[in-house]
Amino acid sequence: MSVSREEVLRIAQLAELDVQEQALADLVAQMSRIIDYVAQLSAVPANGSVKPVVPGPDAIRFRTDEVTPSQLAFGPEEFAPDFKEGFFVVPKLGQFE
Amino acid sequence: MNWETVIGLETHVQLRTKSKMFCGCSTAFGAPPNTQVCPVCLGLPGALPAANGAAIGLAVRGALALGCTVHPKSIFARKNYFYPDLPKGYQISQFDQPLATSGTLSFVSPERSVVTATIVRLHLEEDAGKSIHDRFAKGTGIDLNRSGVPLIEIVGGPDLRSPAEARAYLQTLKQLLEYIGISDCDMEKGSLRVDANVSVRRAGETAFNTRTEVKNINSFAYVEKALTVERDRQIALIESGGTVTQQTMLYDAKENAVRPQRSKEESHDYRYFPEPDLPPLVLTAEFVAEQQSALPELPAAKRDRFVAAYALSREHATVVTSNRAVADYYESVVRAGAEPQAAANWVMTEALADANDHQEQLRVAPGALAQVIALVKGGTLSHQAAKKVFGEVAAKGGEPRNIAEALGLIQVADTNVVAGWVTDVLGAHAPEVGRYRNGETKLMAFFVGQVMRASKGKADPKLAQRVLEEKLAASA
Amino acid sequence: MSDAKAVADRLVKAKRLNALLTPPKDLRKSLNAQAAAARPTGVLYGMPVAVKDNICTLEFTTTCGSRILEGYRSPYEATAVAKLKAAGALIAGKTNCDEFAMGSSTEHSAYGRVLHPLDKARVPGGSSGGSAALVAAGAVPAALGSETGGSVRQPASFCGVVGIKPTYGRVSRYGLVAFGSSLDQIGVFGRSVHDAARVLSVISGRDPRDSTCEDRDSLRLPTVPESLQGFVIGLPREYFPPELDPAVRRACDRAIRLMKELGAAVREVSLPHTPYAVPTYYVIAPAEASSNLARYDGVRYGPRFNGAVDLRGLYRSTRGQGFGPEVRRRILVGTYVLSAGYYDAYYKRAQQMRALIAQDFRNAFDRGVDLLFTPTVPSPAFKAGEKLGDPIAMYMSDIFTVTANLAGLPAMSLPIGRIKGLPIGGQLIGQAFLEDEMIEAAYALERVVPETDEA
Ligand SMILES: [Zn+2]
Repeated sequence: MSVSREEVLRIAQLAELDVQEQALADLVAQMSRIIDYVAQLSAVPANGSVKPVVPGPDAIRFRTDEVTPSQLAFGPEEFAPDFKEGFFVVPKLGQFE
Repeated sequence: MNWETVIGLETHVQLRTKSKMFCGCSTAFGAPPNTQVCPVCLGLPGALPAANGAAIGLAVRGALALGCTVHPKSIFARKNYFYPDLPKGYQISQFDQPLATSGTLSFVSPERSVVTATIVRLHLEEDAGKSIHDRFAKGTGIDLNRSGVPLIEIVGGPDLRSPAEARAYLQTLKQLLEYIGISDCDMEKGSLRVDANVSVRRAGETAFNTRTEVKNINSFAYVEKALTVERDRQIALIESGGTVTQQTMLYDAKENAVRPQRSKEESHDYRYFPEPDLPPLVLTAEFVAEQQSALPELPAAKRDRFVAAYALSREHATVVTSNRAVADYYESVVRAGAEPQAAANWVMTEALADANDHQEQLRVAPGALAQVIALVKGGTLSHQAAKKVFGEVAAKGGEPRNIAEALGLIQVADTNVVAGWVTDVLGAHAPEVGRYRNGETKLMAFFVGQVMRASKGKADPKLAQRVLEEKLAASA
Repeated sequence: MSDAKAVADRLVKAKRLNALLTPPKDLRKSLNAQAAAARPTGVLYGMPVAVKDNICTLEFTTTCGSRILEGYRSPYEATAVAKLKAAGALIAGKTNCDEFAMGSSTEHSAYGRVLHPLDKARVPGGSSGGSAALVAAGAVPAALGSETGGSVRQPASFCGVVGIKPTYGRVSRYGLVAFGSSLDQIGVFGRSVHDAARVLSVISGRDPRDSTCEDRDSLRLPTVPESLQGFVIGLPREYFPPELDPAVRRACDRAIRLMKELGAAVREVSLPHTPYAVPTYYVIAPAEASSNLARYDGVRYGPRFNGAVDLRGLYRSTRGQGFGPEVRRRILVGTYVLSAGYYDAYYKRAQQMRALIAQDFRNAFDRGVDLLFTPTVPSPAFKAGEKLGDPIAMYMSDIFTVTANLAGLPAMSLPIGRIKGLPIGGQLIGQAFLEDEMIEAAYALERVVPETDEA
């Protein structure tokens, strides 16, 4: 396996995903297979002179600094799972977390 | 054991814009929670960023003021981590190709005179929202009004050698940024925030030891305290045989203590990659030149010019140029005809004290202050009387000369009148006259004082002294 | 104009395909309201257009085929949707898709798989399978889909309809729920080239809200040409490998012959980095996805699962239970390739390969080729469940389509025949922002190709 069990768990923690113990073995196998598959890219000679390019405009556009009216057809209270007194509410965090 | 502290500051500065970095929401402070939000800064599915040109311009000004190299092409990158006040799960920032690098900031160190600290990099990014911990019994409230507010991060090199020096650096940086008008730098409103990398080493060592990052220093007053506490903690730790571990320490102002941050981002694997929603940030030479020409004369240049042009000491020039409005005021007073050193004395004392008590308003017009200074110089007002006149003009306005007259503060320079007061004083203090004539000449100050008292402060003290000298010599 | 009731009736009739996620009642009510409000002067007045469920609408929920957005109503609408409405079109409900557009069969939807209109045992392709199936079934003349690696062209080929992916930056992505931001584009399905092209024309053009959208006027529709005189069509040899299904090969050969008869010059070209396109894609797309999907954390929108006691618990239960297995797998792969120590070996290398793939196309076009012609997919629609066990086998059905996304080029699929009754598509790949030339060629080919005949 090119990806270890520990690596999958570490990555899952970074990605904030629950991984069920019984699904772990399958996941390790699938991820290893996918990583092995994409690893063929590293078989291509690395060419430092190749500059990565991304499609799209060559340069960012500068937006004018103007306050525009709200684009919300309705407020957060309509879509938030827990919204009180104007705040989104999440389980308590310590001040020093 | 002699210890040396090594500090580098990472300063986050909110740019003075009307709208946020990547959306049109207002940046105004103090609105009800989650009222200055839109799909972009709420991180709603499908929303995309559009960069604020004014924020880019202000960031370039900051970089130029710090002598940085401004790069014609820089790249926005995503910094990925989970936190409830970070709506997209990543912060749009800059990483391996920042806006600007390699600048400097010179400041007066309390220990080493003038120090030139390096500015490693300056980049643009967006702010996160705010977590409110004390409002709900069972939860934390999230307000995203701040989310997406434009910031620059200024990363200073590990060039500071004490908590006091760090404070002086920050003070100078704040002055500079206020000077060029790119931020209001109000720490209480969160528009200036500072994190510090701190390590200690034995005197003479040249390598850096393991450092910690001190966060949550949310007031100017805490900078020195927090860094002192962390420095002392590290020294005590090493002296008792321990080792410093690389971690984030949070400063608790109430306890004046630091404690390690729990849970959040324990791994610090931010998985930076180029932000695919934003093309490269390309700055034309014209754009950079425009920002350059929008910069005022910077404090350091102004200070040097004041030393050269007005023959002020470096210390006086530093005080007078510490604030752009004060420096402009000083120059107006000089332009109105005041002698430069006298003008500096008045600005540094009376004018600044009055401004301190009155919402930072310089209430006496430069021309009026120049007149007050002229009245003192011409012998029309004593220094004491002039201060009174200054206070009156500050409070009520008006012409200094008229006010001095109305208050009866004009010095009497008529020799006959002054001679009358002198005669009275000498008559009333025969024993002192005797002692004076026996060589106790330091009593002259006493006689002048008595004449001033007899004249209710109106006598020209120089004239009074001359007449006293004449009379005391004549009758001998 | 078609009346709102008739539009709704046709959509409800296609219900068995599970292609539409909007409940009939909501659909009827909204269509009535939209018909009353539609601008009669709009160029699409009265035209019903179904919209893939990863494009934000005010009228209907936007779930992206995911439990994590179950019941989510967007408080704003996508620029493309606003443009459709401004042109008088009716938003004819939201179509089922692979969760967050990750998949090639529309089997990875939290709301059940979509059936192929001609064979319910088969898949319609994906990820925009719902849109393709509805158009193929005649329920709507056109529908919006989205593409990251072929999610419009591949189901268009499977279902026997026209599917266009425009140049990256031609259509605003504002309001398209992001999967792989540097690859994503909204695309269009139509019963005919004309239906697809006129919808594309309406949704194209500048949008200050999308920084990656080019500052250009909207696409001007070409006229139907008399011939293909003057067109040089390139046939990239890497897209016609010896192992290609002979029936697919026959259908392509016939289309090529027809284009020649219309006056086109045809020549073989080479795009040598093609074999690396799929692995390149499966690094870049998951990497961007892992970051794009970080916002689904249960804090601001979407349901929360199992009362979490702490923040970590909230994150992990929301994301663990809200995302399906394919999405979770891709988030993990994407997180892996971006994580410390692996970035250079995977992500950076993939970006370099992407540049080489784009250069291949530029080289071909620089040598006088106007358009490329290839099969869209190596095979007709496969059976449901056939490729679920093997992610790589599923990924291989994108082999001919991902290159256009990596290079940002416009590409389209149109029906060129059938294999044992199942449609097969031919692909045209054009030069950046020259959709008009590509559509012109498609118009010509569409008129002569016997699309329902066996190849
Ligand atoms: Zn906003």
